[in-house]
Amino acid sequence: MANELATASTLHTEDVSVWFGDRQVLDKVSLTFPANQVTALIGPSGCGKSTFLRTLNRMHELIPGAGLAGAVYLDGKDIYGENVDAVDVRINIGMVFQKPNPFPTMSIKENILSGLKLSGRKIGDSEELVETSLRRASIWNEVKDRLDDQALSLSGGQQQRLCIARSLAMNPQVLLMDEPCSALDPGSTRRIEETIEELSDSMTIVIVTHNMQQAQRVSHQTAFFLADDNTPGGVVEFGSTEDVFNRPVDARTNDYVNGHFG
Amino acid sequence: MSTQQPRPAKQPWSRSNAAQRREIIAASVLPLIVTAAIYWILKIDYTVALIGVFLPLQVLSAAAVGLRAFGRRGIWDALLLVLTIFLSANVLVLLASVLASVIGKGFGALSSQFFLQNNIYVSTTTSLEYGGVGHAILGSLIVVAITTLLAVPLGISIAVFLTQSQSRLRGPVRTFTQAISGLPSVVSGLFILSIMPYLHLQHVGFAGALALFPLMLPTIARVAEEALRLVPADLRMAALALGAPNYRAFFKVILPAAKTGIMTALLLGLARVVGETAPLVLTLGSNNSTNLNPFDGGMASLPRYIYSFVNTKYQTSQERAWGAALVLLMVVGLLFGAARVLGRKKSLKTKASKATKKGNR
Ligand SMILES: Nc1ncnc2c1ncn2[C@@H]1O[C@H](COP(=O)(O)OP(=O)(O)OP(=O)(O)O)[C@@H](O)[C@H]1O
Ligand SMILES: [Mg+2]
Repeated sequence: MANELATASTLHTEDVSVWFGDRQVLDKVSLTFPANQVTALIGPSGCGKSTFLRTLNRMHELIPGAGLAGAVYLDGKDIYGENVDAVDVRINIGMVFQKPNPFPTMSIKENILSGLKLSGRKIGDSEELVETSLRRASIWNEVKDRLDDQALSLSGGQQQRLCIARSLAMNPQVLLMDEPCSALDPGSTRRIEETIEELSDSMTIVIVTHNMQQAQRVSHQTAFFLADDNTPGGVVEFGSTEDVFNRPVDARTNDYVNGHFG
Repeated sequence: MSTQQPRPAKQPWSRSNAAQRREIIAASVLPLIVTAAIYWILKIDYTVALIGVFLPLQVLSAAAVGLRAFGRRGIWDALLLVLTIFLSANVLVLLASVLASVIGKGFGALSSQFFLQNNIYVSTTTSLEYGGVGHAILGSLIVVAITTLLAVPLGISIAVFLTQSQSRLRGPVRTFTQAISGLPSVVSGLFILSIMPYLHLQHVGFAGALALFPLMLPTIARVAEEALRLVPADLRMAALALGAPNYRAFFKVILPAAKTGIMTALLLGLARVVGETAPLVLTLGSNNSTNLNPFDGGMASLPRYIYSFVNTKYQTSQERAWGAALVLLMVVGLLFGAARVLGRKKSLKTKASKATKKGNR
């Protein structure tokens, strides 16, 4: 049952603009994330990448004072539609945060199963689900003998892969990752990159990264975000990773991917 | 598992050597000896000797040692150390002398019958072999238990409201809670006394519990609020990102993470009310025999028992009062111990399950 993976979905945003209070931080972002593709979001600090990512699974609305215009479609259905429950959206669109955040009061195994418990779904064969999830996040071999240990006893890199496994146990159609490797060593980073590649067989992935090499290694397409001084951020260039990095159309993209600013 | 010998723990960061250690000992003992000498010879007041002679001497000698060992920085370290130890020693002495006087004066009254019997047929001069505080222990426990049952859910709800909601009413609610915490206990008792007729309550256990309620509630609410506030916002976000409705994120993630803090809230709340006398004198009535019904008839309680017996001029009565005071301390200790054990239950359980899993392999 756990092997029966959900099919990946296409995610599509239309003129997404975002406000915090009266301040607009994103202006009319329209992007398409095709099924089974990995999309990298790059851009200098503070240009709104994390904010945009949070609009994709309705985590944005949890911030006091947040505002939004535009629409986000998951397989053609607006996730901000009238009869759509944010909770269902988040079940289908998983999220991995920049800082590892395993649940400290739970064991490794309980962390993996926490998503199902928290979203109130039935747990089928839990042993098998725990194993497949941990395997898909390539951390199984490191923790298989200590599944009942506290999650905080893991190293930072292991905790991050545990958090990925926790999202995978939910069997999402889309996985959002906000700088998942920024706190990790090269070894863990490489393993997560391999994981991303394998995962793209079964889901759509959007990853924010500050690492240009990483964007080129893992992604099929890339969106370059930029916010000029005191103006809302937006997408300057969007296309295949190959094109954005080697044949950028916009001069600012060229400067950024070659490390001239940001 | 490995055949390696355990290596002795080395602590390369500990820098003190034998000579320094001798200096430190000298610096701690000398001021004491000098102070003692001056105290005996000049016959000065004990407090004056402690604050006027011992403390300055100790500060000077510690500063000297600090200066020799670490230079200027050592002086401040030494001063801080001396002040910290001096002030905490004062607190410890205070606590120890309270305990010592209660144990010293109350221990003589203790016997199994003192715990088990009640106060019927006991007069102010009855010898200590008869009667006891059993009825008052039960009364206190029942009253405090009812107060806890009322105050814990509401107190934690207030804490949850203050930390988890975005409501505009948070400010007023917090101010109101703080205001109640300044309520003198006798006023709380008087208030309940004045509304008892409207509630159709006589002087009964439940009325006593109501009088303690405003005292326990703010303590629990505020300590629980602090505990919940300490839970990182990340965890809530992680739970919500997994598709948890707010209430499940709270019960399965936030509350467990704040569990020890909430236990502390409960403990401090108990500590706040268990020795309260004034509200109980006003509302609880009293009873010489055992009454387990909080809605019918007066009830005995330990503070009330102490209060009435210590006010007589008879030796045995006063001994009874001290005995009851000691019992009250023991009850508090037991309640604290029980709450600690309950708070630790979860980790014990996981340990146990781990042990059995290991055994099965
Ligand atoms: N909770 C918030 N309240 C108010 N403003 C916010 C909030 N979160 C982000 N912002 C603002 O929105 C803008 C975009 O922030 P965001 O975190 O999306 O940037 P980012 O591109 O992810 O940057 P980084 O690469 O440093 O993570 C910033 O100007 C920031 O100040
Ligand atoms: Mg960010």
